[in-house]
Amino acid sequence: MTTVLDRAAPPAPRLARDRRRWAWGLAAVALTAAALAGSGLLSGPVLNRGGFAQFGRFAAAALRPELDPGFLAVVADSVLVTVAYAVLGGGLALLLGAVGAVLVSRRTWGRRRTGWLVTRGLLAVPRGLHEAVWGLLLLNVLGLDPWVGVLAIAVPYGAVTATVFADLLDEVPRGGYEALVAAGAGRGTAALYGLLPPAAGGLLSYSFYRLECAVRSAVVLGLIGAGGLGYQLALSFTSLRWEQVWTTVYALALLCLLADVCGRAVRRRVAAPPSPGPGRDPVLTASVLAVVGLAGWAGWFLALSPAALFSGRTGEQLSYVAAAAWPPSTDPSLLGDVATTAVDTLLMSVVAIVLATAGAVALAGLAARPPAAGPLRRALGVLVRAGLLLLRAVPPPVWALVLLFVLLPGILPGALALAVYTLGVLGRLVGEAVEEADRRPPAALRAAGASPAGAWLYGAVPALAGPVLALALHRWEVTIRDTVLVGLLGAGGIGVLLSARTSAFDWPAVTTVLGAVVLLGFAVDVLGSRARAALR
Amino acid sequence: MRFGGTTALSGVDLAVARGERVAVVGASGAGKSTLLGVLDGSVTPTAGEVRVHGVDPTSLRGRELRRLRGRTGSVRQSLDLPGQLRVVHNVNAGRLGSWSAARAAWSLVRPQGTAEVGAALHRLGLADRMYERTDRLSGGQRQRVAVARVLLQRPELVLADEPASALDPALADTVLAVLGELAAERGGALVACLHDPALALRHCDRVVGLDSGRVVLDAPADSLTATALERFYGVTR
Repeated sequence: MTTVLDRAAPPAPRLARDRRRWAWGLAAVALTAAALAGSGLLSGPVLNRGGFAQFGRFAAAALRPELDPGFLAVVADSVLVTVAYAVLGGGLALLLGAVGAVLVSRRTWGRRRTGWLVTRGLLAVPRGLHEAVWGLLLLNVLGLDPWVGVLAIAVPYGAVTATVFADLLDEVPRGGYEALVAAGAGRGTAALYGLLPPAAGGLLSYSFYRLECAVRSAVVLGLIGAGGLGYQLALSFTSLRWEQVWTTVYALALLCLLADVCGRAVRRRVAAPPSPGPGRDPVLTASVLAVVGLAGWAGWFLALSPAALFSGRTGEQLSYVAAAAWPPSTDPSLLGDVATTAVDTLLMSVVAIVLATAGAVALAGLAARPPAAGPLRRALGVLVRAGLLLLRAVPPPVWALVLLFVLLPGILPGALALAVYTLGVLGRLVGEAVEEADRRPPAALRAAGASPAGAWLYGAVPALAGPVLALALHRWEVTIRDTVLVGLLGAGGIGVLLSARTSAFDWPAVTTVLGAVVLLGFAVDVLGSRARAALR
Repeated sequence: MRFGGTTALSGVDLAVARGERVAVVGASGAGKSTLLGVLDGSVTPTAGEVRVHGVDPTSLRGRELRRLRGRTGSVRQSLDLPGQLRVVHNVNAGRLGSWSAARAAWSLVRPQGTAEVGAALHRLGLADRMYERTDRLSGGQRQRVAVARVLLQRPELVLADEPASALDPALADTVLAVLGELAAERGGALVACLHDPALALRHCDRVVGLDSGRVVLDAPADSLTATALERFYGVTR
């Protein structure tokens, strides 16, 4: 018929497997197997039968939280303190992140891989340490000042935000940017016109997501003594007042729900502006102004004074701690402890992220809002999303305390606590990825007679697998830091060592342990980044 | 097949017989894609009745519905091919109606039935692209991947929405010939939306013209000349 049909058949091409992906996949399977074996989940008893009664009392209190007006007033005040820390810390972090993103974007460095690796490495130091660790360290320098809580959030969050902003900018298709550069635009202008507009939605929605995370971090800082809801939670927990614990947890969940609803509303406006007319969207402008206004109020409410940062006493403390902390301790028995606890921490984080990812994928279909659904499916969706919200509203150390009722001490309670919490976060993120995915390919396959499983495998999974694994890897980097936090409050891993050395004011040992924590975080960061590159 | 009023389509009363090759023509927004969507079941008409292969799809559920849908194959305008999959998987997706879930999953690890996939791609001049990622292909190549998927599906009713829009004239002829043969092979019909009047006249027996969701032309292809058809486009554009 045409020349195309008459051409002789060329030799069949050979399937060339992507060896890099296979290597990453096999390595992930091996690490998971090692972590599950090491956690004791597959061997020996893990249940603590003695704690079941206490757990029963704790669970029963969920239905009758403390509603005494006096206590409610205390909780309300704690909420304000937590919000103030969250908004100030989160807002400062976004400013730091926007500046930092330019410094760690692949595009800034181009082919100069060394420069990119060095700046990423530098950021790994602030982000490698958990907010609570920063809190502990800053407490020793600034004393009991509200700046401790604000900076403890702003420093690590700023570093995380910088890497995520940079990744978002790097993941934008290059076509538009390169066309502008080819047409003679400068790199900055090209980024403004070719990179920022396609990334703006992602950047704004991540900013609101970070502010929501800041609420949870503010709670965690309370657990180590910075005041607010976390402090209240810790007080009630240690005095075994389960009714009060639940009141605080509900307050927290409500606060998170509020942040969640606001963030989602903003993101919807970003994705689908209601009218394409000229001028700014009033709701978006109002939300940004509201955040700025809240930050101003928070500064007044916490009586934050810039002078405290630059006072002579601060300088003295800083130089004392710095002098005492150097050189780091190289005591062989300490190094041995560091190594074993570091391995434990790694295994905990792997168990946590694997379980959380599996759970998030299993729940994704239910957590995503379908475009059209019956009332039953809708109700189930609301239930699942509310469940996920509760999981992430409660900080991991509190989950660890709860799990210690029913599990024997070891690395499993900590790992499960992190898994439960991370499931709450990942479940939402994966659900959103599912919502945002193109529904046409699976619909086309269904229209051609494919089974639901077949349409899912060939129509939905290919587009979702990469983003979901990338999310899981990002969360793994967060989880390794949270593992240290869980340890700080006693659930095993390198955090236990850190808290012991800090309370003994053994500064050289603290430096060694901190170095190990940062290295661990950096290693996971590099692994995650490499693995994500293999996914692209 | 009958359809009745949606805002995109209204008062459309059409029957396509076995063995027919129908070209649907009309300006953008005339309702061509909606018409095909109604036929493959992805659009449910708000009023009226549709019978596909003599059956009302809304009367069927589950396996029965899947079997019916498996007898209709589409090349959509948006193609709907996940770019992350290799070409071989996107073509094999045409066989999901007859494959078990386990076989479908295993095929993603070890591609199954590569001989048929290779043959289909060879007919379309894409044999050497079998293991490439679909998003590395050009628009015209992706269009042919979508056609190859329908070839593997072997449906009786072939629906094609602008299947040759990104192809050079020789390839456009090949694709339409292949689709026409596919329908004939199974004793079925081809319904294709086409923008090119010459293609419509060369490859179809019947031309249906749509304007604002209404049928304004329905004639055998040999009663029309290219100039008459061009005039029709001129009117509706």
